[in-house]
Amino acid sequence: MGGTSKLLLSAAVAVLAGTVPALSAWQPQKPIEFIATAGPGGGTDNIARAVQNIITKYKLTDQPIVVVNKGGGSGAEGYVYGKASAGDPYKVIFGTSNAWQQPLVSKVAFNYTDLTPIAAMAQDEFLLWVKQDSPIKTAGDYLKAAASGDFKMGGAQSKDTDEVLTRMIEKAGQIKLTYIPFKSGAETAVQLAGGHLDSHVNNPSESLGQWRGGTQRPLCVFSPKRLPQGAKVTATEGWGDVPTCAEQGLDVKQYEQPRTVWLPGKVTPDQAAFYVDLMKKVQATPEWKDYIEKTSQVETFLTGAEFDKFIKDDLEHVRLVAGEQGWLVK
Amino acid sequence: MDNLGELLHGFTIAVTVPHLALMVIGVLLGILVGVLPGLGAPNGVSLLLPLTFGMQPVSAIILLSSMYWGALFGGSVTSILFNIPGEPSSVATTFDGYPMARDGRPTTALATAFGSAAFGALIGVILITFLASWVAQVALAFGPAEYFAVYFLAFASFVGMGGAAPIKTVVALAIGFAIAAIGIDTVSGSVRLTMGVDELVKGVNFVVAVMGLFGIGELLVAVEEEFHARAVSSKIDWREVFRAVGRLPRHGVALLRSAAIGCWMGITPGGPTAASFMSYGIARRFSRRGRYFGTGEVEGIISPETADHAAGTSALLPMLALGIPGSATAAVMMGGLMIWGLNPGPMLFVDQKDFVWGLIASMYVGNIVAVVLVLLTVPVFAALMRIPFVVIAPLIVIICVVGAYSVSNSYLDVVMMLGFGVVGYLFKKLFYPLAPLVLAIVIGDKAEDAFRQSMLMSKGSLAIFFANKLVTCLIVAGIVLLLLPLVLQLAHLFRKPAPPTNETTAQEKVII
Amino acid sequence: MISRRALELATAVLTGSFGVAVVVQSLDNGIGWSSAGVDSGTFPFLTGIIIVLGSLYNLVRGVLPVASLANVPIAITPIELRRIAGLFVPAAIFVAAIPLAGIYLASAGYIFAVLAIPRHQSVPRALAMALATAIGLYVVFERMFQVSLPHGALAAALGL
Repeated sequence: MGGTSKLLLSAAVAVLAGTVPALSAWQPQKPIEFIATAGPGGGTDNIARAVQNIITKYKLTDQPIVVVNKGGGSGAEGYVYGKASAGDPYKVIFGTSNAWQQPLVSKVAFNYTDLTPIAAMAQDEFLLWVKQDSPIKTAGDYLKAAASGDFKMGGAQSKDTDEVLTRMIEKAGQIKLTYIPFKSGAETAVQLAGGHLDSHVNNPSESLGQWRGGTQRPLCVFSPKRLPQGAKVTATEGWGDVPTCAEQGLDVKQYEQPRTVWLPGKVTPDQAAFYVDLMKKVQATPEWKDYIEKTSQVETFLTGAEFDKFIKDDLEHVRLVAGEQGWLVK
Repeated sequence: MDNLGELLHGFTIAVTVPHLALMVIGVLLGILVGVLPGLGAPNGVSLLLPLTFGMQPVSAIILLSSMYWGALFGGSVTSILFNIPGEPSSVATTFDGYPMARDGRPTTALATAFGSAAFGALIGVILITFLASWVAQVALAFGPAEYFAVYFLAFASFVGMGGAAPIKTVVALAIGFAIAAIGIDTVSGSVRLTMGVDELVKGVNFVVAVMGLFGIGELLVAVEEEFHARAVSSKIDWREVFRAVGRLPRHGVALLRSAAIGCWMGITPGGPTAASFMSYGIARRFSRRGRYFGTGEVEGIISPETADHAAGTSALLPMLALGIPGSATAAVMMGGLMIWGLNPGPMLFVDQKDFVWGLIASMYVGNIVAVVLVLLTVPVFAALMRIPFVVIAPLIVIICVVGAYSVSNSYLDVVMMLGFGVVGYLFKKLFYPLAPLVLAIVIGDKAEDAFRQSMLMSKGSLAIFFANKLVTCLIVAGIVLLLLPLVLQLAHLFRKPAPPTNETTAQEKVII
Repeated sequence: MISRRALELATAVLTGSFGVAVVVQSLDNGIGWSSAGVDSGTFPFLTGIIIVLGSLYNLVRGVLPVASLANVPIAITPIELRRIAGLFVPAAIFVAAIPLAGIYLASAGYIFAVLAIPRHQSVPRALAMALATAIGLYVVFERMFQVSLPHGALAAALGL
């Protein structure tokens, strides 16, 4: 057994010696693990794999990258793992805003302060969707119908982004909705297509196929201005043709879900800087632009103080809603 | 029949030399990841995905789906030879496959499993070919109440029978439900039953539980019985492979019934796991040799395998037609579809005819390629049974450890797996049934979610389970299946005033 | 020697205490009906109660001298116990060694120990099998499928 370790040791040393680049600042010396806080196929998994592919293709680092899925507990598994790996700069955690939202409403064993924020790389928009054959044509119609009827709103997970947005809609439109949580946005979309729900607030990529297939359509987008035009989705309409919710009288001006990247806590500024730089390089590639367009997300890059401010603002917002709903953990 | 024309066109796309070569590569790789517990089709798919970006989407999906077929077949190998099911859907195969292999007939067990699996898959593909649009509509009719009814039906057809002491069955089932509830709850978002262990927020993975309960548990039972003393003298006999497949038509009724159950559960959201359990349960109830189930019955292998593959295949349709992935692998493939610029969903059948029909045609060809390759490997796998127990036992331990670890790179899982091993041994020794426990772990939380979603929709009224024909039929069928053995037992009781106790050792032998 | 009765009792106590833990934990989540539907603790609470009641029943049955249990007074004989320990103890040591030694070193050591020490295989053959196992694991998992297995604290200390 001693033989094996020696063999592996010498082999590893030989590999390392051949590949160490000129050391300016910190550089990774062993394989990097990308932790996707979602199961295979989810949005967070897709972004981790897209970043991995781009880095590998352009050889942005010499070290191999492995994507690991830790999506248990709505992503908490991955964050807890990140917290437990404090000081280890070879674990990069890909998540969403639930890094700071989840600890607020659930007794999970981490907080976003246990992690080192690297960047927010893309924003997923939210839209209000109804079934294709619904008589509702605008957000105004929706509010009127929901005020008199008993409307069922579907969404992914509980006390997460979708439900927070649902409660904000309730407040802005002075209506009452029954929120029904499902495992994922895709599942919710199918439930709406089957007529088991009245509406949902999916991201564009989660319902793109359904819109094109004529089973459901967006009423409005929760964004300050309309989305970029892009290619047509249906025969007549594209994302840019969807009005904003605010202009239709549903006063939720802005609601987005950032795709966030983290390192474990207690890493050095040099190490964090390396990854910020790496993500910047990734974002400059045409493949990234392609990925963003195909998944109908909005490109963004927040890091450092900007990212901190974004988190604080969002946290303030969510705390307000969660407090009103009585979700805050004691 | 314009579908037939489309299919013929599909064949001209699928049956080309490069595509056949891709199928062979995909299937072989699939068998490899399927056989090795801890690796699964998702690993293989994510490994190959980057390679496919330069390919035509149809070539890429042929490669990936062939690997999926290979992995499905490969997954049964360890279930049969070592009692280690690598996937939830191959648990039911262990019930009769493993006893048969241990009896010295591993070749027969493997060949029977592969043959019936191929039959199930074929029926599934035929269903997709001719009823695609209808099937997509059926799937849409399923809301939370209907989901719950399907899960209820699966439980009802499996539980409520068998020779185990009823209270022990109830305890095993309840423990399964409690284990399924560990972690974050979908409906409320709160953390449940973590027993103070932070990492348990992710829940207890099925593979971890099964590797321990079945793999390690069985190993302990085997070593205690000194099973290795009577070493398996498995002859490697190529002809037995073909004889076993040739005997399949004799079980035509079981094959057709299981395929029907599989297709039904694949289209409805029950999925392959529920399908294989349900098919096994129903076969045990209706087969003439039902009371021998669990001791290495041929129909006990045919029923779960046929249903598993029929469901696995027909479950691809909702993915293509509606964009709901039925499994982790399907989810990775769907990620692939999007990267290739295709959007799964209703329009795929209209926009991308070549792609869809090329894929469907490749399912026919890919399954044939897979079954041929996998049958050729049977003698090789069967030969593993001749390795002396003292050598194979530590290897099985290592396989279980690596398998449990690689589920989510967690050491805690390895420790839990070992703990489940002890529980598995105790349960087996004391005749607590393992099957209800496993079934509850796999679909317990889904059933609970569906029930609570229904309650949210109906504001607490149970009337939602009788709100339309579909859900009423499912619930009534479930209740009938649940009560049937009870009624039979009561009738039995009235005829014979002194019923024999349930716990006689003679009866305990057949408990799974 | 372990009697069937002792084994039944031990198992019933084991399942029963799991049931109690489930009941206690589920109370934290709230049971019953609230504005958010069925509370998340309700189902675990009910299953916990069922486990506890069932375990009590099994416990009582185990204590009472029921005829069927008398048929098998001995569940595990000393020889059987030794055989089980012979398999389980090395496996447990193997698992315990993983965090420190890593999976490759630990599995090689495990294979070598269980084959060579009871003299099932000659030392060189056992050594060869141990090496083959570790290298096989490394090639298949780490290289082919990029699944990283634990390298252990020892490897980390050596800077690997």
